[in-house]
Amino acid sequence: MNEIGGAPLFFLEFGDIVIYFTPFTLTLFLLALVFSVFVLVSRPERQLEIAFGGDAYYAKEISLSELRFRRFMSIACGLACMGAMVTGDVFDFTLFVSLVGICNVGIVAAVRSRHVQNAAYQYGLVALAGTVPMFAAAGMVAATTGTLSMLELAKGALTVPLAAQALLVLGVMGEGMAPFYAAKAEMFRAPGAPYVIMCSLSSLLIFLRVTEVILLI
Amino acid sequence: MIIQKISRVLSNFDNILPVFAAACAAMSLFVLLTLPLPYSEDQLYPKEIVPGSSLNPYDRGGPPFTQAAIHSQYPENSPTAGYVTAYLTPLSLFLSEHTLYMGTTIVAHPGGILDEILYNTRGLDTVVEPTILFVAFAIAAYLFRKREA
Repeated sequence: MNEIGGAPLFFLEFGDIVIYFTPFTLTLFLLALVFSVFVLVSRPERQLEIAFGGDAYYAKEISLSELRFRRFMSIACGLACMGAMVTGDVFDFTLFVSLVGICNVGIVAAVRSRHVQNAAYQYGLVALAGTVPMFAAAGMVAATTGTLSMLELAKGALTVPLAAQALLVLGVMGEGMAPFYAAKAEMFRAPGAPYVIMCSLSSLLIFLRVTEVILLI
Repeated sequence: MIIQKISRVLSNFDNILPVFAAACAAMSLFVLLTLPLPYSEDQLYPKEIVPGSSLNPYDRGGPPFTQAAIHSQYPENSPTAGYVTAYLTPLSLFLSEHTLYMGTTIVAHPGGILDEILYNTRGLDTVVEPTILFVAFAIAAYLFRKREA
């Protein structure tokens, strides 16, 4: 077996979908887990703005419903990330990545600001468009090799066409485009800040994982 | 200099969607150039179209409660796959015995064919798919009710 992420330590079988932990995927999984726990216990940042020409300042309040919704989306994003990090099946990986994408849309979309909503809309369009090449890649892998299991593909007997790998990377790029919008929307220091970091972290993690998948299959 | 120009274009988030669309178009062209791709005959979960079967095209064969042959990747991980794939409730059985044209109806209503590829061998996929839908509904519901909050 082509062991790009180290020797598998543990297999967890869900029928044909075999989840496997190598040192690489285990590290990414733990990173996603730790950040999910951080999101669970952290409280949103309350941004302060100094009023110009005086001693007064404004403290922006986060409504409870917004807090709850964004926390829910961040934790869902963390769970999807954990799934995408360790799954051993190409189609399952694409499903988890599109779940990450849609959770990121949710995190960005919950902010009540016209500018941010506009960014969320644009990102939603990219994430939607990104699913097409991604699922096309999974379909091409299934059609040309007859299997979807990464462990089978890693044995090297089957060749995945370059086009399928390129489409997979393009699709994951579309789903992981969130930091462009999150940064542009200036949300890292905005009200409700810690949850937005999940966007960046999940994008980083799915990029790392897709690199492993491409080198593996 | 070129990096400056690129980052100036990308810093406006209205430009990222056109850039991604251009990348998709270029990639489609590249994929078209690599065609034709070979088709592997040894596919997982093969299904035959049986003309004359009233469950067409969802017939995986076999009487209920005896194991139908399902070619899965790791048969040892789903030892019970194939037992209930042909099971029909009395209503579905009635439909399947009296008409040849209700295959999709039988599959689509509760008590019809349970496709064990979906519920047994590839069960995790089926769990993730509705999760995507539920998350999408949650976002839509939150955005719709936002003005009330």
